[in-house]
Amino acid sequence: MKVTELLRNNFIIPNLKGTGKEEVINELIDLFKDDPRVKDFEKVKEAVLEREKIMSTGVGKGFAIPHGKTTYVDEMLGAFGKTTRPIDYQSLDNQPVHLVFLLVGKDNLVSTHIKLLSRISRMMNNDEFRNALLEAKTNEEILELFKKEEESYFDI
Amino acid sequence: MSIEYVLLIGSVLILVSIALAKVSDNLGVPTLLLFLGIGMLAGSEGPGGIYFDDARLAQSVGIVALVFILFAGGLDTKWSEVKPVFWQATSLATLGVFVTALAVGLFVSAALSTSLLNGLLLGAVVSSTDAAAVFSVLRSKNVSLRGKLKPLLELESGSNDPMAVFLTIGLIQLLTIPQTTFGSVVLLFVVQMTVGAVLGLGFGRALVFLINRLRLSYEGIYSVFVLAFAALIYGATASIGGSGFLAVYIAGLVAGNDDFVQKRSLLRFFDGLAWLSQIAMFLTLGLLVFPSHIAPVIGIGLLTSVFLMFVARPLSVFLSLTFAKLSWKEKTFVSWVGLRGAVPIILATFPLLAGLPDAELIFNVVFFIVLTSALLQGWSIPVIARLLRLDAPFEQKRRYPIEFAPLEGVDTELIDLIIPYSSALAGKSIIELDLPQDSLIVLISRNENFIVPSGGTVLQESDTVLVLVNKSNLPAVRAIFEKQREPDEQ
Repeated sequence: MKVTELLRNNFIIPNLKGTGKEEVINELIDLFKDDPRVKDFEKVKEAVLEREKIMSTGVGKGFAIPHGKTTYVDEMLGAFGKTTRPIDYQSLDNQPVHLVFLLVGKDNLVSTHIKLLSRISRMMNNDEFRNALLEAKTNEEILELFKKEEESYFDI
Repeated sequence: MSIEYVLLIGSVLILVSIALAKVSDNLGVPTLLLFLGIGMLAGSEGPGGIYFDDARLAQSVGIVALVFILFAGGLDTKWSEVKPVFWQATSLATLGVFVTALAVGLFVSAALSTSLLNGLLLGAVVSSTDAAAVFSVLRSKNVSLRGKLKPLLELESGSNDPMAVFLTIGLIQLLTIPQTTFGSVVLLFVVQMTVGAVLGLGFGRALVFLINRLRLSYEGIYSVFVLAFAALIYGATASIGGSGFLAVYIAGLVAGNDDFVQKRSLLRFFDGLAWLSQIAMFLTLGLLVFPSHIAPVIGIGLLTSVFLMFVARPLSVFLSLTFAKLSWKEKTFVSWVGLRGAVPIILATFPLLAGLPDAELIFNVVFFIVLTSALLQGWSIPVIARLLRLDAPFEQKRRYPIEFAPLEGVDTELIDLIIPYSSALAGKSIIELDLPQDSLIVLISRNENFIVPSGGTVLQESDTVLVLVNKSNLPAVRAIFEKQREPDEQ
């Protein structure tokens, strides 16, 4: 499983409209509202928001990775968005957030879930990659950047 | 036979079965068929030469084994998975079984020119699919199914035995007790199913309630308690005229979907017990059969088997699922997973013990049907799934490197945390973190690997860690993980 196997053009939002933490998370989750892989949309939302309560997923450098595990999806889901303005995400370094990756894992695929979390946060720790993403304008450009960045990584 | 020989022979048979089960996994032969084969080889006419023709003992072994197999099957069934298919499975388990029995019955009585009731009896005996066979085929590594087919087939096979048992007993009554009427058989059905279902629900709830309040001082006793309780459920329900099999299955389902103390170790215990039951049951039934008696019925056996697989089962499936939202491909596949197994053979001992004239014939034909069904259908299920394009890409069945079950009185949970980019923790070893008591970093995911940490393991930015925390310690743990590097350190 690779990050770019999860991410599709239609799961990328280059201009998130939300101005707050929860709004932005909801915008990304809403992409999966009528997705056939989702068994119970509300439960998926709940899982992500519950995890957010334990500790903020704003891991710093303007990036946040809201995530959650649930039995209510058939497959893992991933989505990526760029905010139109800086968001107060209660990040751990108190910096505003520009880039958000949403990851929804399956309860019985825990090891893949945590490996992907670790992979995504490692990719986003690369300043060059982050800056390129901030420059990118379209879904295609963003996906292309992810693909190029992940080339150097092994399959998980 | 003295006890040391019983133990010696019994254990050798079981060990050989286990050893060969590994081989069968690679060959794709249904494991259960292998156990049956070993029983036959060990039996009177095989090289083993063990003379065994005690149908009553075999029946008892079969019933005890089935009680634990059904209970364990229920425990292991997730209600959330089977709930959407509940009505479809119920329709298959009642109407479907009835149609199968009727169709096979009519066919056999015509083909064998025997009485209608005799034919129906044979139909009833082979009318249920086998939970053990279906579970082992569907859960083997060769099959992965799309959509809701797996829960549907598992729930069907777990819950359709009571109907077949009832039909068999009802028909034997009609054949042996002259004053029995169809009306009294229908009444018997209502009583069996209602009492079975109600007691199953009640016992399931009671089991969870009791086990959470017993506070036994020795862990091992919990398994004994549940073991005895499962036997009690069958015994109590059957002795007041309910379907004991239905009760144990439902009780297992109810308990398995609730939380109770020692759940994980109990599930594992019952998983083992279910395997032992299957091996013991199939070995015994293999011992019981005389291959030379089967040879004369190969013709009629094959005919009936083909009719069952290609006419009766599809007919019953398509009828029972008329209103179900399933494609014809899915229905065809459900028809093909009509594996017969131990239940028909156990049920075939009922007419033997009731002393019916055609019992011997029924037993041998049934045995042959089970053999062909397990062999042909069991073997070809992965292929058929692929042909009908119903197979799903394999989900990694890799397990969590550690297991976690809620423990009584311990308020801990396992959380995943990402080490933030400018974290004060990066570059520090775990022992330097000063995590509060009752909290532990159990696993670190870094790059493509998992690291099981020790005190000296150094954390890095963007590591994902699994932390076991006591809920009351969560704020303290969070404060540690949220610590940022001082600006001058950056």
